[in-house]
Amino acid sequence: MKIQAGVALSALLAALVLLAWSSGARAHTHLEKSVPANGAVLNAAPENIVLTFAEPARLTALSLRKNSEPAQKLAPLPSATARELTVALPRLTPGKYVVSWRVLSEDGHVMPGDLSFTIAAQ
Amino acid sequence: MWTLPDILSVICRAFSFVLLLQAAGTALFIAAFGRRATDSLAGIRSFGCLSAIGALLFVVAHYILEPARMAGDMSGVLDPAMQALALQSPTAEAFGTRLLGLVVIALGLRLARPIVGVVGACLAALAFTLVGHTVVSPHRALLAPLLLVHLLIAAFWIGSLGSLYIASIREAPAVSARLTAAFSAMAIWLVPCIFLAGVSMTALLVPGLRVFLQPYGELLLAKTTLFALLLGLAALNRWKLGPRLATDSRAVDGFRRTVAIEYVLVCSVLTVTAVMTMFYSPEAA
Repeated sequence: MKIQAGVALSALLAALVLLAWSSGARAHTHLEKSVPANGAVLNAAPENIVLTFAEPARLTALSLRKNSEPAQKLAPLPSATARELTVALPRLTPGKYVVSWRVLSEDGHVMPGDLSFTIAAQ
Repeated sequence: MWTLPDILSVICRAFSFVLLLQAAGTALFIAAFGRRATDSLAGIRSFGCLSAIGALLFVVAHYILEPARMAGDMSGVLDPAMQALALQSPTAEAFGTRLLGLVVIALGLRLARPIVGVVGACLAALAFTLVGHTVVSPHRALLAPLLLVHLLIAAFWIGSLGSLYIASIREAPAVSARLTAAFSAMAIWLVPCIFLAGVSMTALLVPGLRVFLQPYGELLLAKTTLFALLLGLAALNRWKLGPRLATDSRAVDGFRRTVAIEYVLVCSVLTVTAVMTMFYSPEAA
């Protein structure tokens, strides 16, 4: 009974730890730099997004969300494992965008991350 | 940023850590002290077996969720491309080794073959060196054995807690007291090695003290704090409650209570570890 309670407590603790550290999780734990840069305000819509990671990684998912609209999955994704990954973007209109990605690093970890940029109205 | 697959995955990971180390530790406990147990041995073996089976289920669930984590949503579970990526990654090798280790542990316990159980425990622990930071670190030659030592002693500790709890219920007080004393005599030398191995790994992995301002470092400090609490409780059992088991019937309740609290703290440490190693990296600081 006590052991079951201990295991259940662990699950609860996992959820609490996850929530407590969710703000810290917005840090780009493996992303070294990006083009557009995180938080950038652009005068023209970029044609590509370039993500540079600290170690070679394989992009497994990439999505783009404008303001509060549903996220759009971007494809095709590069199949290579590399530090710098480039993906073509669709034609973008002015607004705030959030790019969310997931990469598989060479040590087997799946790392999520996101960045945002704004295209200024002309 | 966290999705449903992330949340489910970390829960499965935490459960698998607890149950795997519990199963491995029970096998190690029986190998070390099985001959001293009489009435509780069958119960301890069953406890270890059930832990191994439970761990198997959560390890499988965790692996099944990996394609979903890669995709960012549950549709990834059925995505052949994501499944293929999971199969090609170090995760698959670790998964297979973990499964094999758990099966061997269960067999060793079921067939009352302590050496088989120990082999299974070592395999299950070895699986952790096949994925994660130790795989790509230039210090792998040092990190892998340190991690093995760290895990096997932690397993021995958590497996022994459950085993001693069962022994306190099923054995005569004198037998329970002897088992506890034998465990304590060994643990007093082994348990500090968990801390030493952990500190050594931290020194090899973290780029600098600024990591302790990042989530990885903060979680590492949380782990260390919980471990310090554990040591305090272990000392209470070692020097105050354990020696009174044979002669004071009231000490049994106190002993069981502290063992249960120790168990919850160990589960908490393993849960923090599951979150820390899944979502964060020391190199990112």
